[in-house]
Amino acid sequence: MSDITAPTSLASAAPPKRGRSLPPPMVLFGLTWLAAMLVIALGADLLSPYSYTALDLRNRLSPPAFMGGTWLHPLGTDELGRDVMARLIYSIRMSLLIAFGATIIGAVIGTTLGFLAAHFRGFVEQVVLALVDFSASLPFLILALSVLAFFGNSMVLFICLLGLHAWERYARIARGLAISAGAQGYAAAVRQLGASPWRIYGRHVLPNIASTLIVSMTLAFPEIILLESGLSFLGLGVQPPATSLGSMVGYGREYLTRAPWILLAPAFTIILTTLSVSLIGDWLRDRLDPTLR
Amino acid sequence: MLRFFGSRLLRAAVTIVMVVTFAFIVLRLSGDPAQIIMGADAPPEAVDAFRTAWGLDQPVWLQYFHYFGAIFQGDLGRSMRDGRDAIVLVMERIPATLALTIPALLIKLGLGIPAGITAALHRNSFIDRAVMLMAVAGFTVPSFVLGLLLVLVFAVQLGWLPSGGQESWRHAILPIITMGVGGAAVLARFTRSAMLEVLGQPYIRTASAKGVPWRAVVWGHALPNAAIPTVTIVGFMVGSLIAGAVVVESVFSWPGVGRLLVVAVANRDLAVVQCILLLVAATMVTANLVVDLLYGLLDPRLRNQPKRATGAA
Repeated sequence: MSDITAPTSLASAAPPKRGRSLPPPMVLFGLTWLAAMLVIALGADLLSPYSYTALDLRNRLSPPAFMGGTWLHPLGTDELGRDVMARLIYSIRMSLLIAFGATIIGAVIGTTLGFLAAHFRGFVEQVVLALVDFSASLPFLILALSVLAFFGNSMVLFICLLGLHAWERYARIARGLAISAGAQGYAAAVRQLGASPWRIYGRHVLPNIASTLIVSMTLAFPEIILLESGLSFLGLGVQPPATSLGSMVGYGREYLTRAPWILLAPAFTIILTTLSVSLIGDWLRDRLDPTLR
Repeated sequence: MLRFFGSRLLRAAVTIVMVVTFAFIVLRLSGDPAQIIMGADAPPEAVDAFRTAWGLDQPVWLQYFHYFGAIFQGDLGRSMRDGRDAIVLVMERIPATLALTIPALLIKLGLGIPAGITAALHRNSFIDRAVMLMAVAGFTVPSFVLGLLLVLVFAVQLGWLPSGGQESWRHAILPIITMGVGGAAVLARFTRSAMLEVLGQPYIRTASAKGVPWRAVVWGHALPNAAIPTVTIVGFMVGSLIAGAVVVESVFSWPGVGRLLVVAVANRDLAVVQCILLLVAATMVTANLVVDLLYGLLDPRLRNQPKRATGAA
């Protein structure tokens, strides 16, 4: 605040130039990391050296290879002798699966409700807006905790619950954009031609607002990873014997002093993954949709 | 102006009713609380007696009305574990939570807002990139990871600070830093984009063109306008003072509301979870209401238009 630049710096406030051939290095890093995660998630069964529940009782709490451990367990083992790398690989698969599933559920529910509100207006719109207010009035973690505690914990419920995260954002965006699309020529033209609402919204409005929705998805995706890992960390998300990045951290916490590698490997995976998606999301937002900033 | 306030009040009331209904639906229809509390092998007479005692044998709609009535009389039920009033249990924990969240909020405001403004004023400079990198990092590191890393460094390796518990003020330092840093990052990012948005407006150019000194343009025109969207997110932070520490309290074994909630959830203690849920919702709704009213005061444009104030998020 002490030295304030001259107003000439305003020139740089113009929207970023389009048509750059290569994304910036940070984004390239993000894309690479995310691609690697996807490969690991898809090929978990081929890549994993052991089953994630396999015990090696003679090598309990063995440190990673670069910390003086054995190459049998490159990232070390936990107190039951389970291979940290194998667990990490399956955790990546689990966390990505949940995050993808939940992001898609949220986008579909939110967009559908937004379109319904825009199409019917009146009472339907008021109901949707009231639901939006309701979601905005509760921190999602509290909501998720109460639902999970009382419905018990199943994988399907957990994914659906996380899918409700951020639905109201899609609903708000879809409603706003669909209303303004309705006022534009193309939607009215197809309606005059006798297209059904399904066709208008599915084939004409949706493709026109897709870029904004995709940007929202890239912003919601890391949030869902963080939520999932937070809940699993608290022991209220993914339940053993299944494992996710968050539950690995929560579990490794018991061995923080003796075997920090159990916790550090999944922790850095979470950080790098959310970081990558955020970088990609920001970059996409700047390119596709300057208005969302 | 009155109509604006009236509609906001009505909206807040509707939201509260929805939250209460939601709590009722979730907590009642999720399974038979009697069986859950008493255990699967409890004798049927004991389960029936429990149902009668808690009013669980009545029709659901009747339970719903009783539930509403009880809540508005301040009766939030008793903990099904130890029979104490849920509201008392929760209230006991609030000071401990506020002892963490209020200093953390001050850190967020004190670090986040100046950092965001500085970054926006020096767009694309080294400072801007550094702030944004920190902001992205702060946003992507989950609080439990940050907390545990701080424990690993400052408690385990260096031994400077305790790793958990609530015996002295030194126990509060790590949790406060954990929460403050993450929140400051979010706030910096938000303030920066709000500020950039305003700096691109024609009235800033006009003011500069008139020959107003840049410092005066920033203080007199840019900051007040950028404050409007920032108020929203600050309101959200104030609203989550009570609930914002669930994860961090668990990491540092801090006996606050969040820890109570996690334990109650694990024990399926209906009354305590309900109580916290409603309390959090009421805090959030109040904070949102205050934000809406502040919006009305800060931005005269909003008073006259019936449309929703969605903010720049």
